[in-house]
Amino acid sequence: MKKHRAGSGIILLLILVWLLIPLIVTIIYSLFQNWTGIIPRGFSLKAYAEIFSDPAFLSALGRTILICIIPILITILLVLLALFVTGLFFPGLERVVQIICMIPYTIQGVILSVSILSMYVANKTFLGNRLVMLTGAYCIIILPYIYQGIRNGMRAVNMPVLIEAAETLGASRIYAYFRIIVPNIISSVIVSSLLAVGIIFGDYVLVRNLDGSAFQNIQIYLYQAMKSDSMKSSAVFVVIMAVTFAISAVVLWIQGHQGKHSEKTAK
Amino acid sequence: MKKRKNLYLLALLPFLVVAFMYEIIPLITVIVNSFQSDSGGGFTLENYHTVSSRLLYQMAVTNSLKISLISAGIGILIAFLGARAAMNVGSRFRRVFMTILNMVSNFAGIPLAFAYMILLGNAGIIVQLGRTMGWDALANYNLYTSNGLAMVYVYFQIPLSTLLLIPAFHAIRKEWKEASMLLGAGSSTFWLKVGIPVLMPSILDTFSILFANALAAYATVYAIMMNSISLLPIQIAGCFVGEVKIQKGLGGALSVTMMVIMVIMILLTSTISKRFQKGVKKA
Repeated sequence: MKKHRAGSGIILLLILVWLLIPLIVTIIYSLFQNWTGIIPRGFSLKAYAEIFSDPAFLSALGRTILICIIPILITILLVLLALFVTGLFFPGLERVVQIICMIPYTIQGVILSVSILSMYVANKTFLGNRLVMLTGAYCIIILPYIYQGIRNGMRAVNMPVLIEAAETLGASRIYAYFRIIVPNIISSVIVSSLLAVGIIFGDYVLVRNLDGSAFQNIQIYLYQAMKSDSMKSSAVFVVIMAVTFAISAVVLWIQGHQGKHSEKTAK
Repeated sequence: MKKRKNLYLLALLPFLVVAFMYEIIPLITVIVNSFQSDSGGGFTLENYHTVSSRLLYQMAVTNSLKISLISAGIGILIAFLGARAAMNVGSRFRRVFMTILNMVSNFAGIPLAFAYMILLGNAGIIVQLGRTMGWDALANYNLYTSNGLAMVYVYFQIPLSTLLLIPAFHAIRKEWKEASMLLGAGSSTFWLKVGIPVLMPSILDTFSILFANALAAYATVYAIMMNSISLLPIQIAGCFVGEVKIQKGLGGALSVTMMVIMVIMILLTSTISKRFQKGVKKA
């Protein structure tokens, strides 16, 4: 049995090594000026100093953060309202909402972006604006994650009972929903928005197909830097990965916390 | 009261408007476009004829199928070994393993392409290491071929597939293993006759997710290969973005082809999976 355990440990270690090598090598690469032999030489933080003093990099970062926030807020509001209606008044429509929310899972980036593009590209109104198209596309691509997060949160709190209690105390349903239910599921909302941030932060397909390189987000910046300066781009890579990992660490932490919390209440 | 209730339907409206504007109608438009000629005119199957007859698009379909099947297959195999091993180690090690998988599962797209180019590109660190050490396999590694590319696909399949399979392994009870050992079965007999059949529905579901994941992958391939490989997502994007005139019809037909492939895979895996579930119930 013990031998079995050691063998399993080795398999897991091999998988971890394989998964971590590209990351670690690229991080080391960003820190040394010369890596042509086996050992990297010339430690320097120059690449980082360079990108953080590059206005193009900083504005790409700012743009990415901005384009994350708006679609996420819109989608959260839309899904909260939709689930308010289906949860309390029209449970029959729940299935329709669910299907609409899960379709983006299967179509994914390329098809979604070209279908939105071919529909609105010739439109003369604000709908033909590339940023409006991009915002719309982001709202759809994050829909499955926001929906599932909020839905799971709602399952955990007994919504009809809480709303009924609030109503007996004289609150209106919509007031009760936004003042009692929503605060109760706020950690699920946060987790799903963070997952959505991760997706938009890592997006290249939608922004490239819908905006060309006119809207330079962080991924486009990395893509363009890759062609000219590999040390600079490895520093951009490290920044992107640091943000991505920080997001998933917070998600895992909140989920772990939630797990403990619900275990306690279950007991 | 009834009227009041219907008033609440208004709150559903914003959701439906956005969903229809940016999801449902665009998708329908793509499907409709695929039956219309790019040079004008009414209903036609011309675009589908182009997709099935021109070598470039035939290659896009076969290449996409090949790389998706291979990477999903290898991904499942490694995930199976990894998830089984994760069940055998202590819970602390398992937690660390799963946390790292979770983190790495976000490592995709352009950054992944970049890391692989640093590692295995023409002047990549590992390729150079291979040259200095005289390891030919590494020295002659070529990332910019479809086999070289498959390696990158396998990379992004592993965290996802392992994370999806680990929960399924909780269903394998220790008692079953003990019972089969008592009846004289070895470990491999147990997995072949009991373990894998029980896990089969989860394995198939995971396989179809991995397949879809690889089929739709775009950023990584594009960053590594540009347009020098014919794959469905690359051809689709090429019809809409680029210097040439937008080809809505052809792009639509390619998109529909890709969606049909995905749906066939989902139906196929879920039918086989049902059969296994039935078998389990009967037993």
